[in-house]
Amino acid sequence: MQLVADRDAHAFEVIFDRHGSAAFSLAYRMCGRRPMAEDVVQDAFLSLWRTGARYSRTRGSVRAWILGVVHNRAIDAFRRGAVKESRDVSDDGIAERMEASERTEAEVATRAEAQEVRTALGELPAEQRGVIELAYFGGFTHTQIAEMLELPPGTVKGRMRLGLAKMRLALGDPAEVVP
Amino acid sequence: MTRDPVSEDRDCGADAAACALGALDPEQAEHFRRHLESCAVCRDELTAFRLVVDALPMAAHQHRVPPSLRRQIMRDVRAEPGRAAGRAKRLRPRRLPARLVSRPALAAGLAAAVALVILGGLELAPGGSSRTRAIQASVTGVSGAARLQVTGGHAELVVSHLPPPASGHIYEVWVKRGHHAPSPTSALFSVTRSGAADVGVPGSVRGVSTIMVTQEPAGGSLAPSHAPVIVAQLT
Repeated sequence: MQLVADRDAHAFEVIFDRHGSAAFSLAYRMCGRRPMAEDVVQDAFLSLWRTGARYSRTRGSVRAWILGVVHNRAIDAFRRGAVKESRDVSDDGIAERMEASERTEAEVATRAEAQEVRTALGELPAEQRGVIELAYFGGFTHTQIAEMLELPPGTVKGRMRLGLAKMRLALGDPAEVVP
Repeated sequence: MTRDPVSEDRDCGADAAACALGALDPEQAEHFRRHLESCAVCRDELTAFRLVVDALPMAAHQHRVPPSLRRQIMRDVRAEPGRAAGRAKRLRPRRLPARLVSRPALAAGLAAAVALVILGGLELAPGGSSRTRAIQASVTGVSGAARLQVTGGHAELVVSHLPPPASGHIYEVWVKRGHHAPSPTSALFSVTRSGAADVGVPGSVRGVSTIMVTQEPAGGSLAPSHAPVIVAQLT
């Protein structure tokens, strides 16, 4: 990462190749449209390049840090109203997933890891999974979610807490899940 | 809208989960941050929840990043000043993917002479050796805005609300020194759907009097074939 901070384009390319697909997948899930997802990923990575990529180990893994930037960029796009119509928290039906025959070894590992997280999320009670998805992938605050679901805000926060606590148990130490 | 008060110590754990998810309203988030200073339980809980939230992106179905997006990002990176860019040889203009040049927009009326209007400069970081000077550029013949940011001999052109180039065309950046004819650069670009682009001007701008942008056939030109749509005057 120091080389990226020194604006070494080759190092940046390596980082992009390692994390670009996960970044695009997250943006696609959040935006629901490929062009907007591409804009979000492009904005995120170019901002990392231009700011000298101020990464600190205290922020967690490199991937978590990069995906955090992508996540924030997507929410910024939501707030600008750029993807207002497409804030669908479900990615069912999205085309162009990695087909089994096309996957590299690294992609297989990533996919297995993704499956583990998806299973942990999927096994939550629907009401807990729902508020977590609306908050994280939809970028909604708990008060917005409470309005949408016609629930007291405290109930929404309680569901978030229960859901995350169960996922924590299911995933063991997430630090091991996200290297 | 019903607003719950910021939680007191009694149920602050629920705030930790919402905070980790980025789902607290700004005011509540600020209160919770203050609360964290005195509540070790919440600090631990927030740390644990953040690790879970860090894993959440992987719950999305995984897609391979589109090759065209990778090419675009790396092209932008290499076009900007940096160690690698400093070493780079002057690049020949390259033909770009069709997706970058597919939307017709520019009218034919770019022939009007461009008034070189400098709207002003701004020292963004006074006192340091790496001061950034922002120069407002003139945009002529099309809608949009543009400014040039010059730092330590390198310049970045930041455009917004610019229409995409016409089908089969691309925007090309030129540098002009004194009374010499404009020289082509390897910076060819299109814009995002919102009309934005950040474009590094290759090489040093020392001695450069004017930076301009024209619309050129995809692949770029060695001499401008259209009147400039963006002009920034450095001296």
